[in-house]
Amino acid sequence: MAVTETPPETVEAATEAAPAAPRRQPTGFAAVLGTGDHKVVGRLYIVSGLVFGLGALVLGGLFAVEALDSSSLDVFARDTAFQFFTLSRVGSLFLLAFPLVIGIAMVVVPLQVGARSVAFPRAAAVSYWAWLMGAVLLVASYAINGGPGGGRSTGVNLWIASMGLLVLSILLAAICLATTVLAARTTGLRLSYLPLYSWSVLVAAVMWLFTLPVLFGQLVLLYVDHRHGGRTFGGDSNIYGSIAWVLRNPQVYVIAVPVLGFAADAMATTARTRMGLRPIAQAAIGAFGILGFGAFLQAADKTAIETPVVIGMSLAAVLPILVILAVGGDLFRRGTLRSSTGMVYAGASLLVLLLGVAAGALGSIPALETAGTIFDSGVSHAVILAAVIASLGGLHWWATKIGRQPATDVLGGLAALVMLLGSVTVVVPDLISGIAGDGAELRPDWTGGIEALNVIVLIGVVIVAGGVALALVSLLPLLRRGQDVDRDPWQGQTLEWLTPSPPPLANFDTELPLVVSPEPLVDASEEK
Amino acid sequence: MTSATLALPTAPEPVRPRVLLVGTVLATAATCMAFAGLMGLYLAERSAVIASGAKWLPEGSNIPLTPANMAFGTMLLSAVTMWWAVDAVARNDRQMAYLALGLTIFFGVAVINATSFLYTQMDLAVTSAPGVLIYTITGAHLAMIIAGLVFAAVMTFRTLGGEYSGRDHEGLTAAAVFWFATIAVHSVIWYAIYIVK
Repeated sequence: MAVTETPPETVEAATEAAPAAPRRQPTGFAAVLGTGDHKVVGRLYIVSGLVFGLGALVLGGLFAVEALDSSSLDVFARDTAFQFFTLSRVGSLFLLAFPLVIGIAMVVVPLQVGARSVAFPRAAAVSYWAWLMGAVLLVASYAINGGPGGGRSTGVNLWIASMGLLVLSILLAAICLATTVLAARTTGLRLSYLPLYSWSVLVAAVMWLFTLPVLFGQLVLLYVDHRHGGRTFGGDSNIYGSIAWVLRNPQVYVIAVPVLGFAADAMATTARTRMGLRPIAQAAIGAFGILGFGAFLQAADKTAIETPVVIGMSLAAVLPILVILAVGGDLFRRGTLRSSTGMVYAGASLLVLLLGVAAGALGSIPALETAGTIFDSGVSHAVILAAVIASLGGLHWWATKIGRQPATDVLGGLAALVMLLGSVTVVVPDLISGIAGDGAELRPDWTGGIEALNVIVLIGVVIVAGGVALALVSLLPLLRRGQDVDRDPWQGQTLEWLTPSPPPLANFDTELPLVVSPEPLVDASEEK
Repeated sequence: MTSATLALPTAPEPVRPRVLLVGTVLATAATCMAFAGLMGLYLAERSAVIASGAKWLPEGSNIPLTPANMAFGTMLLSAVTMWWAVDAVARNDRQMAYLALGLTIFFGVAVINATSFLYTQMDLAVTSAPGVLIYTITGAHLAMIIAGLVFAAVMTFRTLGGEYSGRDHEGLTAAAVFWFATIAVHSVIWYAIYIVK
């Protein structure tokens, strides 16, 4: 038997670790479907929210047309009007506002807190796909004559289940976002140093986690009840009424908490100064979130809305917005009085939010008897519009982190102003109708308000649509490839402006910086 | 100012971010809120029925206390074994950790069994208001128990597999937090539904 010796150099070569092949980044569909990158997940949320949002806008427009003359105009058949009405209301919150707000936060928050990734990246991806499935099933449930008041029992069941899926997916996203802020911050970045946008997302996410599970539990109950005859809670037309607390004040305010954070960040950067009243601004944002806690109204009737607690909460909710406006005033007093597109968006969204919350405070006064009238719709429309305007503003402000190139400034600023005008035109007539009208519930075709004023509402819807179209055109450069895109087009103060534009997979191409103040980039420029 | 030219001092690695624990606490709080909402609906509906002069449970229905008490007692025992599992993992005591986790899972399954038995004894139709509420709340709690058991098992195996160490047993601590919340929810259900009826 021959013995074969292996030469030593061969043994060494065999035991030597092979150089690791550079990991190829997935491209095409694989990069989208299998991604755990928070930026891709955020973009998916944003694009899907815009697609579904356009549908919600069209539906809102059709209702505005119907409301012009409810006796002769029948855009929707009487037996389907309620279904479209609920689709419009639920869609504007869960298919438009939530995905837009979550999408921007999903991209920006990890960058702002100096994290390499969002916490639980796979859960974040699951939250998006679950949300998308829930959204498609929700629309499908209406297509098979389901939804609240629908004629097909399985369709109603599907609606409840899809709503449950939507809520679960939002909760999952909220856990990812809140955990990122609480546990994945870079060294030195205390909670008191947090960029105010990240702080507002934390407050919003925590409030979603404290309120939306109540809705989820209610949906489970409705599902069980409806599956077994719906005698107790789930009578078809009663389903919507029992979850309507999510769509009215104060609960609807929780979707708009990031509006305050975005506005404060944009104002501080535009004024090019440190925020002296930061603790007050943080407290105001926190207070606005707490005042948006409306889960206790889940089983409430009209009288519960008129209790001193609810009235007090509604009145107090105006204060945080005024505080943020005052903080903005102080910033421009101490810094540079100038403007930026982000600043215009911030101002527009703050004013629309102030309109909605101030109206909510007014409507809480029992003597005005606005509960259950078109006034409530006006309040929630204003709050949702404020969230949408701020989200489009966020897209513009963080364009180079979310997309590939900066957005078009002039068009963006114009879009914000047009949307401000449109929002006021949509909301104010509803508020006047609610107070000065006959105070009755909505009409059988689920429209309401004084018909002469409804003409103005329709004009407002057209203006809002025009503003959204302008905003989308201004955002087109985000889709085009660019070279040497500036990391920091606004001379920002916070960590997201330290990343390349667009950010790489692990967000930062350098070591994570040590943070010693709320404005780390200002510190660095002052040290130079 | 281009931030590419900025030079901030480099940060040291963050100290044990405990991402899983924070995420679990948030998820647990959300779960508790769901049960709080359901219990709120239950109590509101019950008090409305009683205020109208009617009986809450339909004629012929009853909630026998023996299986309900057995389930609750077993649940309380599982609190001890779960704490024991966390302690054993913290001391890198593999055998005791497996034993404690095995007992916790056994107790959890026993609670599911006792609750299922209770269902057969209640003679309560799901089509009635109390039926819808009781089956929804207790059924959701059974789902929470199953989730807690799976979470605890996965985290123990991952800890003993080396993903965490005895010093850093965040995973099992997170599972224990969720499990203790499951027990807390059970105690509310036991008192408000089974005892008060």
